[in-house]
Amino acid sequence: MNTVTIRKNSTGFRNQNRFEPEWLYNIRKESWNYFNELDLPHRSNHLWRYTNAQDLLPNNPEELIKIVPSLPDQSENDSSFSDKDFSGYGYNRPDFMTFAKLSHDLEKAGVVFKDLLTASRENEDIVEKYLGQLVGYGFGKFEAMNLALWNTGLFLYIPDNVEIEKPIRLQRHPSGPNTFHRLLVVVGNNSKLTLIDDYSGECRKEEAQTNSAVEIFTGDASNVKYFNTQRLSNSCVSYITQRAQISRDAKFVSVFAGIGSKISKFNTGTILNGEGAESRLYGIVFGNENQQFDYHTMHHHKASNSFSDIDFKVVLKDEANSATTGLIRVEEDALNCQAYQVNRNLLLNEGPKAESIPELEILCDQVQCSHGATVGPIDQEMLFYLMSRGVDYKEAMNIITFGYLEPTIAKFPAELGELTRGLLATKMKG
Amino acid sequence: MNKNKILSINNLHVEVAGKEIVKGVSLEINSGEKHAIMGKNGSGKSSLANALAGHPNYEITSGTVELDGENLLDKSATERSLAGLFLGFQYPMTIPGVTVANFLRAAIKARNGVGIDIKNFRKVFKEKMKLLKIEDSFATRYLNDGFSGGEKKRLEILQMAMLQPKLAILDETDSGLDIDALKIVANGIIESAPKDGGVILVTHYQRMLDYIKPDMVHIMIDGRIVKTGGAELALELEAGGYDKLEATVSQGVGV
Repeated sequence: MNTVTIRKNSTGFRNQNRFEPEWLYNIRKESWNYFNELDLPHRSNHLWRYTNAQDLLPNNPEELIKIVPSLPDQSENDSSFSDKDFSGYGYNRPDFMTFAKLSHDLEKAGVVFKDLLTASRENEDIVEKYLGQLVGYGFGKFEAMNLALWNTGLFLYIPDNVEIEKPIRLQRHPSGPNTFHRLLVVVGNNSKLTLIDDYSGECRKEEAQTNSAVEIFTGDASNVKYFNTQRLSNSCVSYITQRAQISRDAKFVSVFAGIGSKISKFNTGTILNGEGAESRLYGIVFGNENQQFDYHTMHHHKASNSFSDIDFKVVLKDEANSATTGLIRVEEDALNCQAYQVNRNLLLNEGPKAESIPELEILCDQVQCSHGATVGPIDQEMLFYLMSRGVDYKEAMNIITFGYLEPTIAKFPAELGELTRGLLATKMKG
Repeated sequence: MNKNKILSINNLHVEVAGKEIVKGVSLEINSGEKHAIMGKNGSGKSSLANALAGHPNYEITSGTVELDGENLLDKSATERSLAGLFLGFQYPMTIPGVTVANFLRAAIKARNGVGIDIKNFRKVFKEKMKLLKIEDSFATRYLNDGFSGGEKKRLEILQMAMLQPKLAILDETDSGLDIDALKIVANGIIESAPKDGGVILVTHYQRMLDYIKPDMVHIMIDGRIVKTGGAELALELEAGGYDKLEATVSQGVGV
């Protein structure tokens, strides 16, 4: 097995890069060592039952050590960024340069938005405190790999009492065979943010891999909406781990739409860390051809009177398959929490397979909790009803599919709902 | 005269899951006529309706059906609708996530093959909603989702009114309706049924026929039309019940 080979032959980490502070270098090195020590997750591990970890492992991780993020140059310098739809715009280039642009107003308000390498130098106090705290090397082998090898990263800091009305948009693209994306977001108390984290693009090489780690910290009474769209081309392999930690009275909505990649493993979770925190997690997946989706959602209630809700729908056709595991954990001292979870799967033909596994770890007895999971074929009576009105088979299937997803999409923040409907329509046409 | 003949069914046999349910039905409907097909549960009247509309579970094993001179049976459910057949469902499907307006728009778009004239669509839609005493908020509700029985049936008639078929088969449109809802639905059928098309009212009871006077009444028992007559036949049936009729038929009298 390659697992063993990697461990035995693992090289030492590279020398410190002249652009990176020592603490960052040390974290990377430590992560690298941890990555090499950890066994490749085995299929007996329930989160890895459905995906072969080998498929997510680069052919030659040692080579990837050499790829370090570059500090952005002035080639795309745009000091007067303004856009009618977005407050900020961040993206990475194939040369691993990462750019972040922010409206002038927000700059003045003290919002910091820059590439992660620059931030690790210029905003060391915040970045060092938070980086790797939610998705660090202790999380797992692929998260350790990310923290060691991330080659494009973004950092967003919003001070207390700043309300950002227009979304900040990130466009994240594959660069070469292995891209390690990293995002750190720190939102202050009473602040407001909508963040669109959009993974798109062609993977130039067959089965190129992208690995992304996203960490979001929200302040007390903040209001944060995070939208993750994964629409990479069908040759990519995509691995995303995202965690958010929600403070007292804060509201967090995390929305995801997965339609891309050959293999997509996505682990999204919210930790309700303060009393009265609320988290809503809404998502859709639409898979076709031979696509494989392996999704894990988590709501972890650490504080009393916290609320969580998950509504996640999957539609599959052709030979696509999907597995969803959804964990709700309520700690013993987290009293009077509410936690709800629904996962529904619709299969449009005989080919696809879907599994849904709710997992409840309720350690407290004062709790309101419910979960539901369904997997089913398209309702032939619905199909006949539409066809009996003159709608052809293909259009009827599309209408039912849209209809199936719509009640979930309707819960998305309005602007994100529109985006999602657009993505779905494009995918259905193609 | 073929010209006036909207529907022509000849010796139709229908099987469901290998079991014969409709056992040789013949029926002709001319333009402008309303026919009632009456029968008990299990008599095959709803199966006949579903088979005509092209439901995949209803297999036509023999017989012919022509709609306005065209062979109906080689067409898919979609094509039958486009050819002018409309089935008002006994149990209309709930489709969450699809609004009434979008559903109707899709049906009308399928007819023209191109985008519809939204302005005109709205106007006709509003008129028909008013006729059927349907509130405006209906348009944005999900199709039949949380609708009462009466609301569902009114929506079926609204669809018939919008689609203007050559032949409307209304399968137990009267079931699940209280007396007020029944009057609204019956009035909707009278007002918006296509004038030179045909209507088949499939029903168990005579009560809807108090409001919509049929030109012909057919009684179905065990997959066959056993008796045909004018509107008075429904009243006879109401007075005597199916049992009495069945007894006469089994003695070989009424056929």
